[in-house]
Amino acid sequence: MNSNFTPSAAAPVARLIEAFNRLPGVGPKSAQRLTYYMIRMPREEAEALAEAVISVKDRIVLCSRCLNITEEPVCHVCTNERRDRTRICVVEEPLDVFAIERTRAYDGLYHVLHGAISPVNGIGAEQLKIRELLDRLRDESVKELILATNPNLEGEATSMYLQRLIAPLGIKMTRLARGLSSGADLEYADEMTLVNALEGRSEVMIDGETPAG
Amino acid sequence: MTSSRPRLFSTEAVVLRHSDLGEADRLLWLLTPQRGILRATARGARKPGSKLGGHLDLLCHVRLSMREGRELHSVSQADTVDAFRGVRTDIGRLSRGLYMAEIAQRVSVEDAPAPAVFRLLVNSLGWLAATESPDTLVRWFALRLLTITGFKPELGACAECGDTLEPDDHVFSAERGGLLCPACRSQGADLLHPASLGTIKVLRHLARSDYPEVASLKIGGEERRQIERILRAHTNAVIDRGVRSAAFLDEIRDWPDVGPVPGGLRSES
Repeated sequence: MNSNFTPSAAAPVARLIEAFNRLPGVGPKSAQRLTYYMIRMPREEAEALAEAVISVKDRIVLCSRCLNITEEPVCHVCTNERRDRTRICVVEEPLDVFAIERTRAYDGLYHVLHGAISPVNGIGAEQLKIRELLDRLRDESVKELILATNPNLEGEATSMYLQRLIAPLGIKMTRLARGLSSGADLEYADEMTLVNALEGRSEVMIDGETPAG
Repeated sequence: MTSSRPRLFSTEAVVLRHSDLGEADRLLWLLTPQRGILRATARGARKPGSKLGGHLDLLCHVRLSMREGRELHSVSQADTVDAFRGVRTDIGRLSRGLYMAEIAQRVSVEDAPAPAVFRLLVNSLGWLAATESPDTLVRWFALRLLTITGFKPELGACAECGDTLEPDDHVFSAERGGLLCPACRSQGADLLHPASLGTIKVLRHLARSDYPEVASLKIGGEERRQIERILRAHTNAVIDRGVRSAAFLDEIRDWPDVGPVPGGLRSES
């Protein structure tokens, strides 16, 4: 890491700048700005922030079943008796669980892989929570696995990898529909999105029924 | 001071690598014909509905309008030339495409013209989408790429003394950059890879031919293994710290084929 971008800063200041700079999306300039903001911050606010960071580290664990982040050994989705236990939705990151939960359109369980296969970055299947998923599929009475990895090349690679691995278990696998996003312009759509949208087209419903039947 | 108005330029490119940047932006490593590797940002590319995102996935051949930056350029418009659908919908082809893209990236330099490497990668990804022999393609690609970029392995004469090689079995040294004659073989402590007469003939054929000429080449099991070891060793000798995507390629290679998963969630709402 670049440790000498503020050669004249006092040691604690330089240390904080460096710590911020390690965060994703924070460059050296933003790190300096945040640090100088904190120097002027009231002590209570700084303590509250430090405490929040520590408590995340101390109290947050991975759910022993779905591996989502949680405060309990088993998360509230996995312990909820009303959720459909025959469906597991496989996502890349905990944030994807929040996104799907916000829709209130899914009542099954989740499994968080904590990443996607990215050969170019040296991330292989063994670094993801795939073995844990296989254990769950053997133990639980799962009838459908929904592959909800990101619709990009690495997400697709992960999805195809899981398809091959799980196919012998005979569990039904589906994946999220891909195509045009709401509010998008057809003329700007890329070739892959348009092909997917054409392939996944659905029959027009009139008064809740299809004209043909 | 010159005008602060940013300069716009257009280029073709293949997306070789990307990483997340900020809230919803993407940082891209692009291979371009006129300027080799360029790094660029694509603002908002990770948002659904982004006009850029869908065009800027890995291994996409695109036409771009870019705003010139000092180190990082920024993509203002993107249009797909070829997404190589046959590559991205088959994990076996995909693992080979990523391997080819990685070695192309790692032997190329920033802001130096690389029209031959660009053309080689685009053509090879096109062939990869449909070829019956993806492994032969990867071997041919590696050999051609290393030849274009000045790392051609010596296959005609002894890499050490330059003597013509007798038509016989020999050994290959990645450290010394080619085949060795019997006299030079014993000098040095480098790792030597066996290269039978058959292996040498196939390597020379791959090196001097275009891919369509070698696509249907039948290579025997032992020769295939020797060629694989020789080309991997030579590639790793050129590329520092090895090729990261090789592990994925090896893992996927022997898996049996399984069809795609049908259907989505539409009918199950």
